[in-house]
Amino acid sequence: MKINAKDVASGAFLILLAAIGLWLNMDHTLGTARRMGPGYMPMLVFWVQLGLGALVLVLGFFSGPDPMERWKGIDWTMLIASIVVGTLVWQISPMFGEFFSSTYNGIGLGMLVGFLVICYAVGWRLLGFICAAMCIFALLLEKGGLMLAVAATILISAMAEPEHRSRPLGVLGLMIFLLAMCWWIFIKQLDIRVAVWPMQY
Amino acid sequence: MDIIGNLAHGFAVAFSFQNLLFALIGALIGTAIGVLPGIGPVATISLLLPITFGQPATTAIIMLAGIYYGAQYGGSTTAILLNLPGEISSVVTTLEGYKMARNGRAGAALATSALGSFFAGSVATVVVAASGPLLTSIALSFGPADYFSLMLLGLIISAVLAQGSIIKSIGMVVLGVALGLVGTDVQTGQQRFTFGIPELSDGISFVALAMGMFGIAEIVLNLERPEARSVLKTKVDSLWLTKEEWKRATPSVLRGTVVGSILGILPGGGASLASFGSYMMERKMSKGRHLFGQGAIEGVAGPEAANNAAAQTSFIPLLTLGIPANAVMALMVGALIIQGIQPGPRMVEAQPDLFWGLIASMWIGNVMLLIINLPMIGMWVKLLQVPYKFLYPAILVFCCIGSYSVNNNVFDVYSTVVFAVLGYMFNKLKMEPAPLLIGFVLGPMMEEHLRRAMLLSRGDITVFIERPISASMLAIAAVALLAMMLPNLRKGKEAALSG
Amino acid sequence: MLPRRAWLAGGAVIAALPAITRAETPWPAQPIRLVVPFAPGGTTDLAARLVAQGLGARLGQPVIVENKPGAGSTLGAAQVAQAAPDGLTLVVSNIASHAIAPSLYRDLRYHPLRDFTHVALLIETPSVFVANPQFAPRGLGEVVRLSREQPRGLDVASSGSGSSNHLLIVQFGQVTGARVNHVPYRGAGPAMTDVIADVVPMMSDSLPSASGHLRGGAVRGMAVASAARHPGFPALPTFREQGVDLVSNSWFGISGPAGLPPAVIGRLNREINAVLAEPATQRRFAELGGLVSPLSPAAYAEFIAGEVARWAPIVQASGAKVE
Repeated sequence: MKINAKDVASGAFLILLAAIGLWLNMDHTLGTARRMGPGYMPMLVFWVQLGLGALVLVLGFFSGPDPMERWKGIDWTMLIASIVVGTLVWQISPMFGEFFSSTYNGIGLGMLVGFLVICYAVGWRLLGFICAAMCIFALLLEKGGLMLAVAATILISAMAEPEHRSRPLGVLGLMIFLLAMCWWIFIKQLDIRVAVWPMQY
Repeated sequence: MDIIGNLAHGFAVAFSFQNLLFALIGALIGTAIGVLPGIGPVATISLLLPITFGQPATTAIIMLAGIYYGAQYGGSTTAILLNLPGEISSVVTTLEGYKMARNGRAGAALATSALGSFFAGSVATVVVAASGPLLTSIALSFGPADYFSLMLLGLIISAVLAQGSIIKSIGMVVLGVALGLVGTDVQTGQQRFTFGIPELSDGISFVALAMGMFGIAEIVLNLERPEARSVLKTKVDSLWLTKEEWKRATPSVLRGTVVGSILGILPGGGASLASFGSYMMERKMSKGRHLFGQGAIEGVAGPEAANNAAAQTSFIPLLTLGIPANAVMALMVGALIIQGIQPGPRMVEAQPDLFWGLIASMWIGNVMLLIINLPMIGMWVKLLQVPYKFLYPAILVFCCIGSYSVNNNVFDVYSTVVFAVLGYMFNKLKMEPAPLLIGFVLGPMMEEHLRRAMLLSRGDITVFIERPISASMLAIAAVALLAMMLPNLRKGKEAALSG
Repeated sequence: MLPRRAWLAGGAVIAALPAITRAETPWPAQPIRLVVPFAPGGTTDLAARLVAQGLGARLGQPVIVENKPGAGSTLGAAQVAQAAPDGLTLVVSNIASHAIAPSLYRDLRYHPLRDFTHVALLIETPSVFVANPQFAPRGLGEVVRLSREQPRGLDVASSGSGSSNHLLIVQFGQVTGARVNHVPYRGAGPAMTDVIADVVPMMSDSLPSASGHLRGGAVRGMAVASAARHPGFPALPTFREQGVDLVSNSWFGISGPAGLPPAVIGRLNREINAVLAEPATQRRFAELGGLVSPLSPAAYAEFIAGEVARWAPIVQASGAKVE
């Protein structure tokens, strides 16, 4: 048997999501084909997805070989660690201040910490830093203002590129250039509605 | 109706200095914002709306229309250069356009897009002028049952967008439909799969989904393969189309124009089918179909033409019925109302200056966009020569601001992150996101039309077969499905036997 | 484009001053954010922008419109409910966010009365029943008769489940005993398309969005749900004239977070009502199909309380429910 590991995993993923969907859909009235309730279409969609997922999974056992990239022990460890730490930080975040108990700031902090934790594993580093950079943007934007948020985003995203770590001046130049550009485009020209400097509102 | 005379009148209106100036300004602004990921024409027009208060109605509409087309052009640029689709039509452009850019043919892809759009736009303008009112009756002859069958057909053929296994890509279409279920059920107002998050009650944001799965995931993948980045940096061939590329692109543009012009008229979501309907057609019919997936110019030329043609003909319902076909059109209605003009069926007679002036300015706007965009191709391609280590933080920042500004909500930034992780995973598992996005857009429309059709027919399923439009769509869908499944199943069986 | 730089400069100076000096500067020392909880381009958005312009001129500080759409306009309202009560953050309160949502959404993040300071009512726009020109009945009485003859009721479209237009259909059924089959759409535009195409014979719409089609003759007006005939459509009879005791207006006004200083409330109400009294505003609002209705802050709050109480049983009866 030549196993197509990617297809098997894809099939499993489709099946998993479909199963979750079907379970959540139990809340919704099904109705009948003639008079469909809100749950009818989801039911159809998830069953079809389940079937297709199963088909992809089964065919995946024969259509290979197409192995997955090898995961090291540390990749697993840090994936779990990041989820655990991230969730924990999210849950205790209201203790850090009122800011984190409003809207999505608490879960945002959890995501940021989680993505930074996962960067300890080399295999996750690129994805981790890029996602963390976006999270810090969302966290800082409303209270810290656009300038601070953009600067922090550039700083964290730059860590994904080894060349930047040895030459921090390039990052600084890029930061100044992008800050000026963002100010010119988004504030001066488009006038989008955000705070520009810290504590503006 | 004296079309020539009316058009001449329209050109006389549009050629006034003020109107030309604002058409140019609109086209420039539109191009600029179209290039920025996430900042779409809706956001820009709403920001500019107050400026139009002081302008004459015709000038205001001409400028807003310029922004709309400009944004379409600009959006294709980002899709081709950075794999960042801003709306459903540019998802298709990324498929072949971004591959072309990676092959060093970014200039040719951009030129094709500009020229194809210009041609399609010109033809569609004539269509709107000559037969707008006539075509309205076609638009009105589509009932919910017909739209349902059209959407189903669209969903089935969208599986063709993927390169790999058909079953897997149908799986992705269905997954997209599933994601589209999130939000408020139109029929009952009940919240589905929103987990109590009010931001999800209007559904998952398309911009967050597309930007995360395509743009952000692509950044991570590019960083992972340093060798892929150097391709972008070093290999930039001539900016213009080769003779062979001209020959391949021309018939695609023609076909795309026809497909787009027809679908654009349908107010119930036809325009969103235009570009990938054309892509599907090119992939099956064009001479270069074996090159699809590696950067086939037909896959840029056809969809771009179709998209622009649809963008123009989607004005028909607005101009003849006063009904906006999409969010941009709704803003145009708003601008008209501010001016004291009630859009409605009498607009053509009551406001001839506005109607014919707008049609003439559509064409003028297209000329301007060509003039603006062709010389800029060199500049855009140079952008790719910026070292990637400096380019990617910039893309990331623009994506962050773009996703935030759609709803002025940080929730959308976090959703983009989630979809970036998903998109990265999909890439590793060879699950293709393009069919997913099509399913995401068409799925909710299909459900809405299906349930409305059933509600109106009192649960009688035969409406789908009794109506000739619906029946023929379903027949085509069935044939397409069979044609796709058969070779695949055979291959699967062979693999099973030999394995 | 807009005087953003002036804002920045002003903001920086104000932030630098100690709190005490700030208290002495007369309100408003900074630009005011007016949150419109709808996507740009709709009637509410347009009217809010018109008022914002006039109000900004009178207050000497720009009033900046910020669109925060989502969740039936409750997202924008929730945001303002949590803002600081300094009079610099206001919201366009409306029938959806402040009258219907409290009964429609089970876990709404705000209380329509306790979490807000209601400042002024801007505009009321009546609902209308419009029909395809081919539709046989001429008046509401014939509509009721026809609906009873049809085994599964008469199809009537609306802009969405839980909208005030939908609730008018429900009320119409309750009051007259008509058998109606509600056909919801995603917005008024698609619903109007299907009425013009005769997919659905009749719809309940708000007058502003239907007025162009009414004037153009694409649809025929059946009845308007205002107390008296609308000046823009003198030939269109009211529900009451046709023996159906229904008045249903959609409305919106301006509110701020709970606890606005009384001085700010008074000033805002005065200036808003002055803007509403300007002939230019009156004309624009009339073109939008609405009626300008100035109220005192207390009267507006009372009005909202009445609306909340009034819609609760109708939402119950409609069957629309959002968890």
